[in-house]
Parts: sequence; structure tokens; C-alpha cells
Amino acid sequence: MDVIKSVYDFITGLGPSVMMPIIITLLALVLGAKFGRALRAGITVGIGFIGINLIIGLLFQYLGPAAEGMVKNWGVTLNAIDVGWPVAAAIAFGTQIGSIIFVVGLLVNIIMLVLRLTKTVDVDLWNYWHWAYTGSLIFVATGIFWLGILGSVLHAAFTLVVADRTAPVIQKYFNWPDLSIAHGWATASMLIVWPMMKFFDLIGLEKSAEAAQKSDLERLRERIGVFGEPVLIGLILGLIVGLLAYVPAGLAFGDLLSKLLQLAMGMAAVMLLMPRVVAILMEGLVPLSEQAREFLQKRFAGREFYIGMDSALMIGEPLTLTVAFLLVPITLLLAVILPGNRMLPFGDLAATPFFVVMATPFMRGRFWRTLITGIVIMIVIMYMGSIWTPLITATAQSIGYAFPEGATQISGFGNPFGWVLVMLSQLFFGK
Amino acid sequence: MASGRKKRVLIVCGTAIATSTMVAMKVEELLREHGIEADIRRCMTSEAKNAAKDADLIVATTQVVDVAIPVISGIPFISGVGMEQVKQEIVNTLRST
Repeated sequence: MDVIKSVYDFITGLGPSVMMPIIITLLALVLGAKFGRALRAGITVGIGFIGINLIIGLLFQYLGPAAEGMVKNWGVTLNAIDVGWPVAAAIAFGTQIGSIIFVVGLLVNIIMLVLRLTKTVDVDLWNYWHWAYTGSLIFVATGIFWLGILGSVLHAAFTLVVADRTAPVIQKYFNWPDLSIAHGWATASMLIVWPMMKFFDLIGLEKSAEAAQKSDLERLRERIGVFGEPVLIGLILGLIVGLLAYVPAGLAFGDLLSKLLQLAMGMAAVMLLMPRVVAILMEGLVPLSEQAREFLQKRFAGREFYIGMDSALMIGEPLTLTVAFLLVPITLLLAVILPGNRMLPFGDLAATPFFVVMATPFMRGRFWRTLITGIVIMIVIMYMGSIWTPLITATAQSIGYAFPEGATQISGFGNPFGWVLVMLSQLFFGK
Repeated sequence: MASGRKKRVLIVCGTAIATSTMVAMKVEELLREHGIEADIRRCMTSEAKNAAKDADLIVATTQVVDVAIPVISGIPFISGVGMEQVKQEIVNTLRST
């Protein structure tokens, strides 16, 4: 037992860029992949981690000083930079909890299938990161490994149960066969979407209204389409933050202009490069995902089941996209006016559709219901993000991501289910 | 268009990260098997309308509206259900453009 433990400690001590390749290679072999394919998958994942480290460095190089300048000038304490879900996923996979999340997640799924507690066969291994995230943050908050694992297990079980329960509405709305959305964030958002739905029914908003017309949405989207382009979001946000940070500093015009333009280009670059780099990580996970799918489908063949998928499948819905684009400026405004907020929205501004994917089918395509639900969601998860910022920064530091010293920290929007587990753990077992 | 020209396939998903990576790898494999030369690009669904102007076919894992080229669902590549039909459909469509 001691030998196993010291080997395990050695491997996890190597950092994610070495640890994950070893784990992915072994796991792919166990699930039946050929050695060459397994090894290539592992190495690709490791390269993804190294790339993400580079991009975080780039982000801080540009945005770090500007965020601090903004705080100094305006007293607006938006010093928790939202690094976006791609980085959050990398952090989650990079911890000790993340190192075994595929084993934990698959076991939870298999056990629940055997006990008939779920009908969902979750083949979306990528999104196991949400469970790893919850577990990792609990581990960092409490120092208790098994409590972290328990958190991941609870989040996984919650995801599968909600995936089953939401499947009928989603299948009907999108006219899909036996799919369910087993996504750790989308399922958690039902904790807000469901009460909102009941609330709207109670007050009778848009009671008789039909679903929003496609042509109306199309016209609206054409006008606000700029908010759908990550590079432009980066550029514009860079300019806004730059103006707030550097104008009151009394620089000469030339210096000010060069700082502004450099910041804007830097932010645009991060917006484009971040997903590219994370896609490398994903590419390495594809063989694993396929092996897991074959493994599960062979063993549970002949039973009625749903195939659990990524909520990205629902993102192209016109109403979801339109509301998501509107949420970009709304979120920035909320960040400034909400008292006590620390989050500077950035990385996830390119991912706002994810926050409302569940609202659209459950509001049956009604515009105002979906938009208002989206705003409520953003307010709740921005406060959650503000509160768990120190934990996220500590978790990133625990796996070797280095940040410059200073008041600026990294953060991410809250997961309505995971956040509650993390906060309860910290309250009762916190270090 | 002449059938010898290099085809351009656009893979569209919600983020251009997760599902499109898997589908892009599968489509690449498929076209190599059938000896079809093609450029494969990925984009987000919000960029699809512009990107479609320079493509022959879209394989999408999410909803794509308002484009003038054929759109085939890539969901079977992820779910594993109906994969053979969708492979055939992609090959046939590309051969006829």
C-alpha cells in the first residue's frame, strides 16, 4: 500500500503536464485502445496543459496591470479576473482529484446504471471536468481528499439524475432521439431555471405568447452580432478596461494610445488562442471518450437508455444565441453596478450561450422569460464567483500555475450545484 | 464545379472546442478512407453564417440556420448511433458538389 501511495504521490507531484499524459495513456489502454494510439492521446493532453499555462501567462501580462490600475483609479474592485471555462477545466483536470475523475465518473455512471438509478450513459468524458472542479475545490478548501471525491461523486450523481429528468422536454423541443444532456453546469442551472419557470407561470408573464419568431430573432441578432465574435469581445473589452485603467494615470497621449492598443490586441489574442489551445487538450481525450462509449454501449446494450451529451449541442438554437449575445453587455454592466461584486467578466463572455441553454427549451422558446432567467442566472453566478475567488486561485496555484504577486486573482462563474457543495464543505470542514 | 477540386468542409459546434474536435477528427478519417481531398475547418455556431461562404458542406453538432450550403448533423459521431448512415451521407454530398 505504501509503495502504491508513494508512486501515486510522485506522479501527481510531477504537475498536470506530466501526470495527465501518464494517466490518460494508462486509462486508454485499460479501456482497450492500442498502445500507439493511447500514448499519442496522452502526449497530446500534456501539450494542451503546457499551452494553457502559456495563455494564462499572456492573460496576466496584459490584463493584470490594467485590472490593478482600474482598482486604484476608481475603487471598482473588479480584481478577480474571470479566466473562462476552458482554463477552469484545465485546472480541474490538473489536480489530484482530476487525475482520477475519469475512473470515478465512469464508476458512478456504471453503478447507477446497474442499480437502475439512471438511464443516461454519459459518453461526454470532456465534461467530467465539472465534477473534478467541485471535488478539487473541496479538497483545496478542506485538505480532505475523500471529501473531495465525495463532492465529485455527488455532483456526478446529480448530473445523471437531472439529465434523465430533463431529457423528455429537451428531446421534444429539439426533436432528438434518445439523447440527454449530462452536462455538469447545464443540469445545475436547472436549480434556477425550474423555480423561474414556476414563478413566470404564477405571475402569468407571456402566458399566451407563442415562441419568439425566428425572423425577429434573426433581425435582432444581426444588429448585436458583434457580441458573438470572441475576438471582437476581446478587443472591445481591452479598450474599455484600458480607458478606465490608463486615462486617469495622466500619461502623454502617445503613451496612452500605445498602451490602449496593445491591451486591446492582447485581449483579442487571448480570446482566439485560448480555445485553440484547449482544443489540443480535447483532441487527446477523444480516443478515451470513444473507448468509454464502446465499453459502456457493449455492456448495457439492449436496455432503453439515453446517451448523455454535451450542452454545446443546444447552443445553436436561435433564441439561445440571441439572448446570450444580449447578456454580454448586460453582464459587464452588472459587474460594475452590483454592490460587492469582485468579478471582472472576461473569458466566459465568449461562452454566454452555455448559461442559458436550459432556459430556452424550458421556457418553450419565449423571449422575455428566457432573457429574464438569463439575467437572474448571471447575477447569482457572478456573486458565487466573487465569493469563491480565493479558492479558485489557491487551486490553480496548488498545481503550479504561477501568477504575479498583487491583488489580482483568478476566478470563474459559479456552478449553482457545485458551489453549494464547496461552500458547505468549507463551512464545516474548512482549513 | 469540377469534382477534382479540393472540398471545403466546415465543422460547426457551440464552442469550436469540444464536440467539433471529435467530429473533425472523425470526418478527416472518413475522407481519407474515401480518398476525398478536403480542407476541414472548425468554427462556432455564431460564426457559421460568415464561414459558410467559403465552404461546400457543414457538419454541425448544433443548430445552424440561414446558410446556403448543405448541413448534415454530426451528432451520430458523438453518440455512436447512426454513424454509418451519416458517413455515407457526407461522402455522397461531397461527391455531388
